Amino acid sequence: MSAQKTGSSSALVELSSQLASAVATAANSVVSIHARRRIPSSGVVWRDGVVVSASHTVRRDDEIPVTLPGGESAVGRVAGRDSATDLIALRVEGTKSYVAPRADAESLRVGSLILAVGRPGRDVSASFGIVSAVGEGWRTWQGARIDKVLRLDVAVYDGFSGGPLVDASGAVLGLNNSALARGTPLALPAAAVDRVLDELLERGHVRRPFIGIAVQPVALSATLLKQHGLSSDKGLMIVSIADNSPAEKGGMLLGDVLLEANESRLAGPDELLDALSSVGAGKAMTVKFLRGGSVKTVSITPGDRGREGGE
Amino acid sequence: MNISMLGSARAASSNLNGLAETLRQAVVEVRSGDSGSGTGIIWGGAGLVVTNAHCIKRGAQLQVDAGGKWREAHALAYHPQHDLALIAAPSVSGPLLELRDPESLRPGELVFAHGHPLGIRDAMAMGVLHAVTRDRSKSPRWIVADVRLAPGNSGGPLVDAEGRLVGINSMVVNGLGVAVPASLVERFVEKALAQRAA
Repeated sequence: MSAQKTGSSSALVELSSQLASAVATAANSVVSIHARRRIPSSGVVWRDGVVVSASHTVRRDDEIPVTLPGGESAVGRVAGRDSATDLIALRVEGTKSYVAPRADAESLRVGSLILAVGRPGRDVSASFGIVSAVGEGWRTWQGARIDKVLRLDVAVYDGFSGGPLVDASGAVLGLNNSALARGTPLALPAAAVDRVLDELLERGHVRRPFIGIAVQPVALSATLLKQHGLSSDKGLMIVSIADNSPAEKGGMLLGDVLLEANESRLAGPDELLDALSSVGAGKAMTVKFLRGGSVKTVSITPGDRGREGGE
Repeated sequence: MNISMLGSARAASSNLNGLAETLRQAVVEVRSGDSGSGTGIIWGGAGLVVTNAHCIKRGAQLQVDAGGKWREAHALAYHPQHDLALIAAPSVSGPLLELRDPESLRPGELVFAHGHPLGIRDAMAMGVLHAVTRDRSKSPRWIVADVRLAPGNSGGPLVDAEGRLVGINSMVVNGLGVAVPASLVERFVEKALAQRAA
């Protein structure tokens, strides 16, 4: 018996019911991964036979017990990890019917309603919030560049890292992670997950090309600009060179001022990192620089830090 | 800008105003001795209030505030394991909240907490249902929700989008709100009243 109804609450009831349906849809692709003490973490069936999750939550590399959305037990094998985006790819059999429906994260704006879904145990759980910021380009503290990062006003609870961020229809927008930005809830957009995943499945790691230098932006004098017909008044001065690094082997010296890499201007350290990322595996890069008042060029083949498994 | 989406968000927001008003009339503030205050739910329409056992100091004088007036009240029954208490508060009345069967709850459903967190009267918080935990006999034990609670919310209602009582907010664990399922509250009140009648 109800003494008083809450008036016409149809829009609210409709919204609530849609959110619960979205969670049910998303739940069909969320697995639980048992690879650490205490509570399991979450993962998403991203492609047939491939589960992605947050690398920091998977503390082992041998046969990893995975509970599939339907409750079946399966075994995951690590296909690759990328510490810079904290992504891990696992190969898991029997996941064909659980591949997550995907949404376009491009359509997201600040204020869009979103749900974080996790499976920290047998059952699925959810939290609800809005997109609080859409970053246009962002570098994680380990140096990976993410084109569009989603900052969330949503609680990412224990066991939620590696689970999906979904829209109001339950389609996956990205992968939740509370460790990537040191505690701030954030999602790796689906496009970034795809890009990293392609590399992990192909070669087991993500290439992180480096040449082994530290640089400092410097201003170039008007005389120099005029003398060499330069278009930018900024360059990157080399302040240190690692032993046996590609830069040292290429003959770079302390004090050299980098102007261009593969004909794109270098005015800040980020542009050097971008230039390095765009060099194909094993390919050389042409670097134009100033030394002693004259412009020189050198060809350097970047090394791959990802392969060495270090920083 | 999608006009129809904007419309439904506005409609949902307006529905929420109605929900808040109903809840404001359905709850009281409970004060016990000189300890802090909690929230209580008017039960059965009149004369009875349900709250958390931990909101009440045993043997202390009780007062409930409904509609701005403090009235004397006394405790009728306690259930410490379920953190529930039943209070007799004659002359207190308000709308009766319909009960929601915890078995029908789905994760992701909207839920709303109403109460007096940190002494702020009639504050509302929104979140979604996180999970329903169960005891050994598989019956619902706690309702866990992604909703922000603070001291003072204790004893207050957690309701669904239709204003039906999902549970009584009792504690915060790892940032999640935890409530006693409405089914357990109903059983507690029935038992307490039957024992008094006997």
